[in-house]
Amino acid sequence: MAANSRLLAGRGSLLARIVRRSFADESGVQKATPAVGEVIERHTERDTIIVNRIEDHTPLAGVPEEHRGSRRVRIFIPAKNAMQSGTYGSNKWRMEFDARERWENPLMGWQSTGDPLSNSHVEFATKEDAIDFCAQNGWECFVEEPKKKTFKPKSYGANFSWNKRTRVTTK
Amino acid sequence: MLRLWPLARGLQAKQVLASLARCNSSAPPEKLEVFVDDKPVLVEPGTTILQACADAGVEIPRFCYHERLSIAGNCRMCLVEVERSPKPVASCAMPVMKGMKIKTDSPLTKRAREGVMEFLLMNHPLDCPICDQGGECDLQDQSMTFGNDKSRFTDMDHTGKRAVEDKNVGPLIKTIMTRCIHCTRCIRFASEVAGVDDLGTTGRGGDMQVGTYVEKMFKSELSGNVIDLCPVGALTSKPYAFTTRPWETRKIESIDVMDALGSNIVVTMRTNEVMRILPRINEDINEEWISDATRFAYDGLKRQRLTTPFVKNDKGILEQADWESALIKVAQKIVQTPGEKIGAVAGGLVDAEALIALKDYLNRLGSEALCTEEIFPMDGAGTDLRSNYLLNTKIQGVEQADLILLVGTNPRFEAPLFNARIRKSWINNDLTVAMVGSQVDLTYDYEHLGDSASILNDIASGKHPFSKTLAAAKNPMVVVGSSALQRGDGTSIHKAVSTIAQNARVQSGCGEDWKVLNVLHRVASQVAALDLGYKAGVDAIRENPPQILFLLGADEGAITKEDIPADCFVVYQGHHGDRGAAMADVILPGAAYTEKDATYVNTEGRAQQTRTAVTPPMLAREDWKIIRALSEISGNSLPYDKLQEVRDRLYEVSPNLVQYGEAEDANYFKQAQELAQSVSGTIQEKPLTPSMQNLKDFYMTNSIGRASQTMAKCVKAVQDMD
Amino acid sequence: MLNTTRQLLTAAYQQVRRIHTAAPVCSDSLFVHRHTADNNPDTPFEFSPDNVKKAQLIVKNYPEGHEAAACIPLLDLAQRQHGWVPLSAMHAVADMLKMPKMRVYEVATFYTMFNREPVGKYFVQICTTTPCMLGGVGSDVILDCLKQELGINPGETTKDGKFTLIEVECLGACVNAPMVQINDNYYEDLTVADMKSIVNGLKRDKVPVAGPRSGQDNRFSCEPKGGLTCLDTPPRGPGFKCRTDL
Repeated sequence: MAANSRLLAGRGSLLARIVRRSFADESGVQKATPAVGEVIERHTERDTIIVNRIEDHTPLAGVPEEHRGSRRVRIFIPAKNAMQSGTYGSNKWRMEFDARERWENPLMGWQSTGDPLSNSHVEFATKEDAIDFCAQNGWECFVEEPKKKTFKPKSYGANFSWNKRTRVTTK
Repeated sequence: MLRLWPLARGLQAKQVLASLARCNSSAPPEKLEVFVDDKPVLVEPGTTILQACADAGVEIPRFCYHERLSIAGNCRMCLVEVERSPKPVASCAMPVMKGMKIKTDSPLTKRAREGVMEFLLMNHPLDCPICDQGGECDLQDQSMTFGNDKSRFTDMDHTGKRAVEDKNVGPLIKTIMTRCIHCTRCIRFASEVAGVDDLGTTGRGGDMQVGTYVEKMFKSELSGNVIDLCPVGALTSKPYAFTTRPWETRKIESIDVMDALGSNIVVTMRTNEVMRILPRINEDINEEWISDATRFAYDGLKRQRLTTPFVKNDKGILEQADWESALIKVAQKIVQTPGEKIGAVAGGLVDAEALIALKDYLNRLGSEALCTEEIFPMDGAGTDLRSNYLLNTKIQGVEQADLILLVGTNPRFEAPLFNARIRKSWINNDLTVAMVGSQVDLTYDYEHLGDSASILNDIASGKHPFSKTLAAAKNPMVVVGSSALQRGDGTSIHKAVSTIAQNARVQSGCGEDWKVLNVLHRVASQVAALDLGYKAGVDAIRENPPQILFLLGADEGAITKEDIPADCFVVYQGHHGDRGAAMADVILPGAAYTEKDATYVNTEGRAQQTRTAVTPPMLAREDWKIIRALSEISGNSLPYDKLQEVRDRLYEVSPNLVQYGEAEDANYFKQAQELAQSVSGTIQEKPLTPSMQNLKDFYMTNSIGRASQTMAKCVKAVQDMD
Repeated sequence: MLNTTRQLLTAAYQQVRRIHTAAPVCSDSLFVHRHTADNNPDTPFEFSPDNVKKAQLIVKNYPEGHEAAACIPLLDLAQRQHGWVPLSAMHAVADMLKMPKMRVYEVATFYTMFNREPVGKYFVQICTTTPCMLGGVGSDVILDCLKQELGINPGETTKDGKFTLIEVECLGACVNAPMVQINDNYYEDLTVADMKSIVNGLKRDKVPVAGPRSGQDNRFSCEPKGGLTCLDTPPRGPGFKCRTDL
């Protein structure tokens, strides 16, 4: 019990430090920290809980300060791999960070980076989720809408059409 | 989201009810209802079963079928059961019929797929571990998903599987023909999209093979696309061979700068090195293809690079330097020189951020002499009206057009995917193409009106017989190549072309929305530069020789040592040690397009952004940051430190520059036409000759291409063939 | 000792994969082109004036815009003129029909009756498919006879360039088995003696009369060997087996 409380205490002070650090904006003025409990509202008329989606997660996320305000996130649907016909990988929204410097590790020649974020990709069902997630973590983001697919009717008969140029191939 | 489930369920029920109501009462009569695995889906008549299944969210396995090629129906992988059909049907070729019940997951369908798979694998080598397609192979994936777990091919006598001789089709495509499953996608691509009927099948039965019959290079500017199309490892990339596996690499969605179209690409990176470049689908620009220069010139990004600043010493030899000394050297010169004695020339690969930074900086210093290497007529409306220098109809517009007049351009090499689009429209929509300029092979038939520029006057005044054809067209397009406008009489040519376009527009009655006049640029930076107010062409520098000349990636030799005073201080900023760097006093190493988040505006006026794939090599840095640093050192700081702030500045100058993915319409043809009337001058008789005539001219068009060994091999291969 | 050697040899033989062919059924022709001294793009070939006229007539058989349909007849014309179809002949056909060359290669390689390698003046195709192998004296002895008379194996050409012998699959004359096809002529109902006389005739450039040989019951055509078994009475007149009141 004692050990447990000590651990909690330690965690509390760390949290406080993070909060203090992250909410000091560029001018150094401390902003008001919203209480985590306040953001959950209970709607009595329908028996559902609505989570106030925009909330600041930066104190909890543990993302180093240098990666908060300065990062730009691209929210997009990954392109289909041109080498294959399957579309499995290109259905969900994904967020991607701007790339930071990478260098060759002198030991093995592998790639090193000081940036933990550009190696991550998080997937979302909707772009709104992704935007919210970025807002919660204090990342600037922009959305790249996928290009609309146009439907093209195709016909096997066109290969043999009598007077059209679609009869170009023998295959 | 989970906590919302009762609400979500309610919504779903409502949607279902609504859709039911639609089906019962007001379904549009032209749509057909079919059932895919008992799920109703409404499709257009003429849709194939495979497309209907895709609409219903069911992906049918396929090898030979490709969305952008004609239907072959020869691999049989897409067999599905259709109720009351005695046999499984090839869904790629079968049009839907009303009330069809398609079963994509029935035992019959599964057995059919297993059977096809077994036949395909019977003669397919088991060399996945040494195959470059491994990890992104349709055959591999589909045999895992749809194949049987055992085979009846036993090879008791060790006679071996069918083996086919490899073909040599040039320095880009590696062929391992034993792996070929005869889907004929490459053949169809060659004959339909590339327009080069070099591939085919020879022999028959067990001896059939895909190839060229006689050994020859697959001579097309789009040849690399067959690598993507090949569903197995029969056609792979020669430069990429045995380098990486797809799961090891990071894929960065970016934009190409090798031509002015801004094809969408995926840059594949491993260990801070560009491993390959693949196309990314964008229906508006490149569909699913990219040109060979786009795909294979990336090895040029690793050669001839400027990796550290250089400063010329007293003996006139460039010496390596650090950033501080190089920037201080330039800043000192700039401080000592009156602003109007500073000039700048921007090259073809420069991004909008660098362009605006340089322009802001030089304007602050008091210089207006900012030019682009590419010339564009500045008289009349010049570059003041965007519609004067854009591909106004858009690349997609080619598919709505019924007539195209090409003037002094060879789109096949200047913008290969624009040419592919014309060919597509020529095949599918019976597009009529006519051309004024040198007769070149465009891969489709066109009416050659002659190569003399004076024909344009005849067409404009209605004297030429072609004027009648043009007047009869409903959606005409006039495309003038930017190279045609670089001649001495460029202004008059532009005037004649815009008159032709304006006449055609009035006579065709196509309305205000349809734009006729189009300019096809050759380099990626030009439209952004003109949008930002750069002067097209280096005349301003020649007329007013500067004491400091800033070359921003200017490598095409528009300005040479002879054009400037001997004591002129030349600063070259760019990524390759090419022609520009050779005449520089100070070299500032910049980043190539794969190494920066940058904005490029394509010839349609569509802004797009590249993404950083790899870090610039050694001391090289992003271009706008270099200029900003220089401005700070010279005591004239630019007011932006972050990329977003530069883009805000771009927005201030021209909002379209940061509206990514969109091409803003420009529509001042009448005004431009009126302004053009004030221009005097006549068109010269000499023929309109585009700079790129043959395939060998296509590969090395910029500093990246010139540094690329692959491109050099291509040039050699093409020359050897001729 | 001998046994071991044989085993080793067999093993070695099995190790050698015959490139280019399907393992189960080996085709004896090559489906890629290799430039050789007598078959390359510069091999002289030009349609003779007569054949140009013929070709134009053939092309006219097909609707406008569908000239490519004349590909097979023109290749045949080229083969008749030149004896076989060199690459340059395919190019001539492609030029004449304004087809891509590859599309002509495809046709020429698909059909086995186009010889893409030089063949002798007399192109002997012996059918060794089951009916010919079993019918009459059987194709085995005929093939042996041909080998002996010509001194070559199937797939080879005699030194004087007069004869080429190949084994082929069914030529559709099973009822007159065994048979050979020499150029355009079918020689059927063969016996060894018949075969010898045919070859000897051809060696002297005397083309024997085509058709069934006397070896088997002197048939006129493909009627049954033992005389007709049906249709052996004069044809019945009208009204045969009809009701009398009709």
